[in-house]
Amino acid sequence: MEGLGINLSSLLAQLVNFGLLFALLYFFAYKPVIKMLDQRSAKIKESMEQTEEIKKQHELAEKETARLIAEAGKEGQRIIEQATLIGEETKQKAKQDAKVEAEKLLAKAKLEIERERDEAIGELRNAFADLTVMAAGKVIDRSLDKEQHRQLIDKVLEESNVVNN
Amino acid sequence: MAKKKGCMGCSFPVAIVVVLAILGVGVISLLGGALGNALLGDVGLPSWLLAQSPEVHLPTDVIFHFLGFPITNTIITAWITIIVLLTIFYFGTRSMKLIPSRFQTAVEFVIDYLLTFCEDIAGKKYGRKFFVIVATIFLFVITNSWIGLVPGVGTILVEGADGHMVHLFRPVNTDINLPLALAIISFIFVEYWGIKTLRLGYFKKFLNTHRFFQGFKELFSGKIKQAMGSLFNGAIDIFIGLLEALSEVVRIVSFTFRLFGNMTGGEILLLMMVFLAPFLLAIPFYGLELLVGFIQALIFAGLTLVFATIAITPSHSDE
Repeated sequence: MEGLGINLSSLLAQLVNFGLLFALLYFFAYKPVIKMLDQRSAKIKESMEQTEEIKKQHELAEKETARLIAEAGKEGQRIIEQATLIGEETKQKAKQDAKVEAEKLLAKAKLEIERERDEAIGELRNAFADLTVMAAGKVIDRSLDKEQHRQLIDKVLEESNVVNN
Repeated sequence: MAKKKGCMGCSFPVAIVVVLAILGVGVISLLGGALGNALLGDVGLPSWLLAQSPEVHLPTDVIFHFLGFPITNTIITAWITIIVLLTIFYFGTRSMKLIPSRFQTAVEFVIDYLLTFCEDIAGKKYGRKFFVIVATIFLFVITNSWIGLVPGVGTILVEGADGHMVHLFRPVNTDINLPLALAIISFIFVEYWGIKTLRLGYFKKFLNTHRFFQGFKELFSGKIKQAMGSLFNGAIDIFIGLLEALSEVVRIVSFTFRLFGNMTGGEILLLMMVFLAPFLLAIPFYGLELLVGFIQALIFAGLTLVFATIAITPSHSDE
């Protein structure tokens, strides 16, 4: 034992040294570092869970977006079809309206023409009557009662009904 | 010249000077050491370049007495180890952050390595409890052996308490009192956990008389053939129990001398190498001693951990 150098005082001193180191390391190394390691792993776990959650949400949102886009496309298609339909209808109606209007105008124009013709005929008849009265007066050199004369002519014309259609 | 020439990052002239310097140191080393002396005889080098003949003596030297308590050079070196470890860990953990600095990462790596080591062997629950002692043993042993390699340890001489010139510092692991102290701590630690976890069941493995008494019972109930078998197996169980108990105590001795022997051997190896050729030749052995220090620390801590894990495991006769 002496040759190896074992002695109680040194042994006690080394035991005390170890105890001292143990206590110091416990408070300055193990406790804070393990606390930190645990904290970090908890944090990492939390972050990973959050990432997973966000990923899930993202996927959900993507799906939702795709659904909305598809829906919007469908809706757009529907609106376009409807618009086309309405447009067609409007066109048809406009055509119809135009036709009706045109016909109306045509009828009106015809009426107008007829009226104008009647008027012209009336005027012509008057002029002719005056002319005839004048000519007849000149021929027979006698002035007939103008009023009488006119009635006479009208009557003739009515009877003859030549000019009148 | 388009291509830049050189050798290992130096230009040629520098490289040549470096190689010559190394060769010169090597030659002086050979001439000054015992190896060259034996081969070539004395070539008249100045005395401070000649290697001193190493003296090996196992007991430590007392540097001074403190209140009547002898303070040896290994105790002083152990204090330095404690100061070094404390400094590293104090500054490493002073301002801990979730996103660590480089120094904090290094400190955390060491702790994490040891913690993982404990948890791998002893499991999550006990790994944490064993960790504090196992890690302290590991850090103490490895720092002790590495500090032993620092220049100055084993070379600075002071006047000791008994008037002789003695080394001021000496590698702590080469003082048998430290391995012995660690072995005792390891022993107490293992037995403490064994008893704490298994209560009285812990002693079953040392005093396994169950089958022996069963044999007696069978003998009295007339089953002679069965009884003989049980008595024989029971005797073997008792013997194994005694062996277990003995091995438990022998661990103190094996722990002590494994560490003490390896470290003292390493120290003597370095002394001899420096004696044979003071420069260059010893360098690879310093590298070797770094590795040995790590391995011995790991073995001491690892065995303590394994023994504690075995101690908390219920023995098979519990079934």
